[in-house]
Amino acid sequence: MSISPFLRSPFTDFTGGMVSHQLLGACQKQEIRYMDCLEAYGLDRGRVKCEHLFHDFHECQTKTLQYKRFAAMRKERERQIAEGKLTGDKKYVTPRIDSY
Amino acid sequence: MAEACQIIRKQDLPPPGGYRPIPFKRIPAKSYFSGFTWIAGYIGVTAISSYLYYLNYKQIVKNKIEMRSAKMAIYPMLLAERDREYMKQLRRNRDAEAELMRDVPGWEVGTYYGERVYKLLPPDALVEPIFHEYYAHTEPSAWDKKVDLRLWS
Repeated sequence: MSISPFLRSPFTDFTGGMVSHQLLGACQKQEIRYMDCLEAYGLDRGRVKCEHLFHDFHECQTKTLQYKRFAAMRKERERQIAEGKLTGDKKYVTPRIDSY
Repeated sequence: MAEACQIIRKQDLPPPGGYRPIPFKRIPAKSYFSGFTWIAGYIGVTAISSYLYYLNYKQIVKNKIEMRSAKMAIYPMLLAERDREYMKQLRRNRDAEAELMRDVPGWEVGTYYGERVYKLLPPDALVEPIFHEYYAHTEPSAWDKKVDLRLWS
């Protein structure tokens, strides 16, 4: 959630946009949509109205859901191996080196 | 009294004929060339060797240009090959996920227990995986090889 300084001036605006995704960063699209919405509604109303945009931006920034997916799949795979359902060559699916 | 005890003592006297003359003049080191000859020799050797260096340098530049051209020529193909392999692996990952989580209640392929990762994208949009997701189904040795380089750089 972005918080702007208490008293805004050209001095605070100078370094305001230093670190963002807008220079071809990974979450450029999500960030700009969320920031446009916040600019339109302001921070107080924007907290409520732009929540869907915020969730997408937050997901892109922190990748929590993707990591949770990985954790769940890994846990399931370990459980199945321990149980004995997956054995030998079927245990893992390994990518080729240098492909990612 | 002095004449009564005349003992012949041994005295440290100069050798008969006296000492030989002591050489005290300087003996400087032998110089093969004079100073100017040395400098002229230095300049001459430098001139010849710089000409030979120049000949060799031209060859080095040609080699560098050739290597650079070759790298530029094959770079797009290598990128394309890597992207192809990446796409194929995404498909394999998806199939592995479907197979693995078949009996897990509430799981849909590509989501987290039904919750889509990006809710504002259409359901069939490609969501590029993170490192962990891409390597979710790998054996630990392959993971170990890549993880430090990937996550720390």
